Amino acid sequence: MKEDEFMNYWLRVTLQITLLWVIYQLGNILVGIMHLPIPGNVLGMIILFVLLSTRTIPLVWVEESADLLLKHLAFFFIPIAVGLMEWVGLFQTSGLQLLLAISLSATVGILVTGLVVQIFAGIRFVKEEIKCIN
Amino acid sequence: MHQLIVLFTIAISIGAYTFSRFLSKRYPHPLVNVVFLSTALIIMVLLSTGISFRQYQPGLNVMTSLLGPATAALAIPLYRNRKILLNNFIPVALGIVLGATANMTTSILAAKLFGLSKVTVVSLVLKSVTVPIAIDISKILSGDPSLTSAFVIATGILGTVLTPILLNLFKVTNPLARGIAYGTTAHGQGTATALLEGPVQGSMSGVAMGLAAIFTSFLAPLLVSSLVG
Repeated sequence: MKEDEFMNYWLRVTLQITLLWVIYQLGNILVGIMHLPIPGNVLGMIILFVLLSTRTIPLVWVEESADLLLKHLAFFFIPIAVGLMEWVGLFQTSGLQLLLAISLSATVGILVTGLVVQIFAGIRFVKEEIKCIN
Repeated sequence: MHQLIVLFTIAISIGAYTFSRFLSKRYPHPLVNVVFLSTALIIMVLLSTGISFRQYQPGLNVMTSLLGPATAALAIPLYRNRKILLNNFIPVALGIVLGATANMTTSILAAKLFGLSKVTVVSLVLKSVTVPIAIDISKILSGDPSLTSAFVIATGILGTVLTPILLNLFKVTNPLARGIAYGTTAHGQGTATALLEGPVQGSMSGVAMGLAAIFTSFLAPLLVSSLVG
């Protein structure tokens, strides 16, 4: 990548992230004003989907930064998970129960979802236009 | 000194992430999990250098400042796959609604059966919701954000291992059904694995992860107030 292309890429990404941030804050503000029981980021996601679907915002305005942020989404979870160092006691006393509860519940969730979709969609699936997530 | 600790905690966090990402690409396996590995590495460094979680907090705030825009960006995979979503609306919607409801109710019931505390139960309900949304719902329900993210990550690891085994056992062969099942329970980690199975599975898992999170943010408060009390 040439130097000016590199600069242009980061300039675009910065502007796009600013737009995503504005939409996210809009979600937060609306949740506050309307006393909605959902997180502001969920409403932000819904707002962005509506803006894209109604062509108010073209996909190219947010695409590059969204792909970059989603590629490294896992990075943001790590510092939050470090907070676990405060919870060592719980895992010492109830670790096995927690593991069992998660495994049992996940088993039911996976089977219910997979079987319900297959029963209603049929065993065969007509291949349609598929676009990867990132 | 204070600024030095903040810089140090950010540096070790980025270092742990880069190293774990490299390992997981080199040795792809559900147990070689980026979040799990990085978190363990960072906690080990903090414990051995005597830095407390309180001292880690300022760096944490800096590092997670882009999490909000990143969560809003989850609308993009939904938008890219809107056609296939609309064409299969009923099976997909039913699968996600029933699957997410099953995930929430069974985790509340199991946690109550084992006599776990209220903050643990509330954090456990959100185990299948992608981390950024789960921690925010957790705050609304007076759960604990770091406990919630631990349960979400554990569910991601267990779900990624269990999903292919269970789906094969019950002969769920439709790639649409497989993708939705991956994403509804094992969220982002499931989506990464579903992508390895195929593009239909991967993209549908991403869609299911987003929709299940939206649905859960509406239903979880009702379920918690009626079942946990």
